[in-house]
Amino acid sequence: MSQRWLQHALRGTTWRMQRQAVALAGLGIFIAIIIGALYLAQSASVASLGRQLEGMIARRNQLEQTNEQLRSEIAQLRSVPRLLARAQEMGFVPAGRENIEYLVVDGYNPNRKPVAVVTEEPPEALPDYEESFTGWLQQQWDSFVRQFRSFTTGE
Amino acid sequence: MAAQGTLNQQEIFNRRLPIVVVLMIVASGLLLLRLISFQQLAPEVLTELSTDYNRTVRLAAARGIIYDRRGQRLAVNTLEYRIGVSPNLVANAQRTATQLASILNMDELRAYEAVTSDEPWVLLAPRVKAEVGQQIEQMKLDLQLPSVTIEKIPLRSYPQGTLAAHILGYVSGDLQGYYGVEGYYQEQLAGRAVNSVVSSIPFDQTDTQEPGRGSDIYLTIDRDLQYVVESELQLAVNETSATGGTIIVMNPRTGDILAMANYPSFDPNAYSNVTDQRAWNNPAISGQYEPGSVFKVLTVAAALDKGVITPQWTYNDQGQLNVGGVTIQNWDRGAHGAVDVTGVLVQSLNVGAATISTALGPTNFYSELAQFGMGRLTGVNLEGEAAGTMHVPGDTDWSESNLGTNSFGQGLAVTPLQMITAISAIANDGLMMQPNIVQKIVTNGQEVLSQRVPLGRPISAEVAHQVRDMMVAVVRDGLDDKALLPGYTLAGKTGTAEIPTPVGYRDDAWIMSFIGFLPADEPQVIILYKLDEPNGRWASEVVAPLFRRLAERLVILLEIPPDDVRQALKAQGGIVSGQ
Repeated sequence: MSQRWLQHALRGTTWRMQRQAVALAGLGIFIAIIIGALYLAQSASVASLGRQLEGMIARRNQLEQTNEQLRSEIAQLRSVPRLLARAQEMGFVPAGRENIEYLVVDGYNPNRKPVAVVTEEPPEALPDYEESFTGWLQQQWDSFVRQFRSFTTGE
Repeated sequence: MAAQGTLNQQEIFNRRLPIVVVLMIVASGLLLLRLISFQQLAPEVLTELSTDYNRTVRLAAARGIIYDRRGQRLAVNTLEYRIGVSPNLVANAQRTATQLASILNMDELRAYEAVTSDEPWVLLAPRVKAEVGQQIEQMKLDLQLPSVTIEKIPLRSYPQGTLAAHILGYVSGDLQGYYGVEGYYQEQLAGRAVNSVVSSIPFDQTDTQEPGRGSDIYLTIDRDLQYVVESELQLAVNETSATGGTIIVMNPRTGDILAMANYPSFDPNAYSNVTDQRAWNNPAISGQYEPGSVFKVLTVAAALDKGVITPQWTYNDQGQLNVGGVTIQNWDRGAHGAVDVTGVLVQSLNVGAATISTALGPTNFYSELAQFGMGRLTGVNLEGEAAGTMHVPGDTDWSESNLGTNSFGQGLAVTPLQMITAISAIANDGLMMQPNIVQKIVTNGQEVLSQRVPLGRPISAEVAHQVRDMMVAVVRDGLDDKALLPGYTLAGKTGTAEIPTPVGYRDDAWIMSFIGFLPADEPQVIILYKLDEPNGRWASEVVAPLFRRLAERLVILLEIPPDDVRQALKAQGGIVSGQ
């Protein structure tokens, strides 16, 4: 019964109408695919950046550890017994009181007040980096506007 | 006929095509809906899945660094590595074994046996240095060797070796600090570890919290000064065959401890190698001893402050005095006749000190000593400080004779830090500063400077100057020039203390000490020098010359000019100070 009804219904439609329906459905699928593709591209981009970030964090941690290791080695190399031995190798001897002469310079006050130094204003902070779809669109738009302006003004 | 058949097929095709198209559209729609539904999972489903894809890891915080006052590193963080292998994952046993053996400097056959073992995991090296570990990491990366496991072991390292060991303390394998600064500031140094959820889904970027790095601590210690003090102490112990010793160098104006050395000491890099765990205690803050004649300075200061005596006060020294049934005698068992207050200190007369303390009376005497911090903690920021022992009237252990013996530093116990803190009040115009070992604490770039805390004013500035002048006389007239430093005015006092046992005092060994400060009129540094059981009989003969030798090196390091130069500098507006 239902099959007959369907055949009857289909026979009653024109090919033109079928083509319209198919085109509409195809368009819908196409739009959905485009949106899906954009979404997937965005997700893949996020995942990729996430991986890059993880890698950079790991690299940063490793560099920090290496730095710390190097600082430790420097501290060992600069320990007093080593410096003393090295200085003696180079012919230095510990200074005694008889080797030290204090000079009193007329008018010099070692406890004078420090002179204030005026420093320059710190440079303006850079804007935060935003990596998102809207951010990307904004960047593209800004870039387009800049190009358009430079084209119109001839700069 | 054939055309009829073709027409029928065409009709069938035309009839079925829309059905197929509709079905495909419906199927695609369902597929799309299902894909969308994956993006919006129900919370309970997410929770269930998260246990499969998420894991919680504990991220340890980097421990704060300890620096000296000039920014030299005294305690740092390093890494060691534990290397293992999972034989099941080894693809090329020969190559893996060769590479590992080469880097780990181990027998290749042993390495091969390890990588071909039936065990799921084999330990290759329990602890290797950071550079070796990094080589293994690089090899693992280059040769794609998932079978090699590398575990990082955070370690505390002390690049200066044994230097300032008792000040620093140590950090155990579980990163817990013990003793010294490591123990006292464990919470600040340790920082804040965090639990972080790590997802194995690449899209899922969780908000990973960074662990809070521990605070860095800058000590008041001067590394170079500490080295000089430690080497002087070592030399003194060797020269006098002492069983131990302590030196403390402090700024009496601020309470800053510039150096603190003990012998014997230990290596905080190998703290577990000590045979006696008492070696970890810092004797400068926890070792209690009877101070002996150094204490007479406090007795005299107390009596002057209470107005019981004046600097012109004299007494007739008959060589002995009975206090509470105990006969007190001088060190030479002799009578010295008419002696003034300065003479009591210069000749270090027990009878004179006991005469003063009895004139002062127990209430005044002990209340003054309490103001000097006897019997209570100084509050220094180091772990393990002891309060000393001072019995007062009302205690079951106190008797009247204590009033006499305590006056010259017998029958009570102090720590070296307590003693130098009390005497520093005399150097600092009567104001006693709390000893301090930390200059500043830096947390995330924010500096918090240590506060200089006065512990009180046990004596007036006038009395402090009077006692200071008496201590100058001790160095000038009482020690046969043994502590004199040409060009500098020193103030000081020796102490030769008997060592108590459960059955009385030992007659074959003594604790000898010297406390002095310089320049006397404008003290920049106060020094306590103490030797345990050295050869010799009197501190004036044994410790005074050692004190002078140390002072001679310190004035160079601290850039303290001789008195005449200092006065000339002062006349034009300022003095040079190396601190």
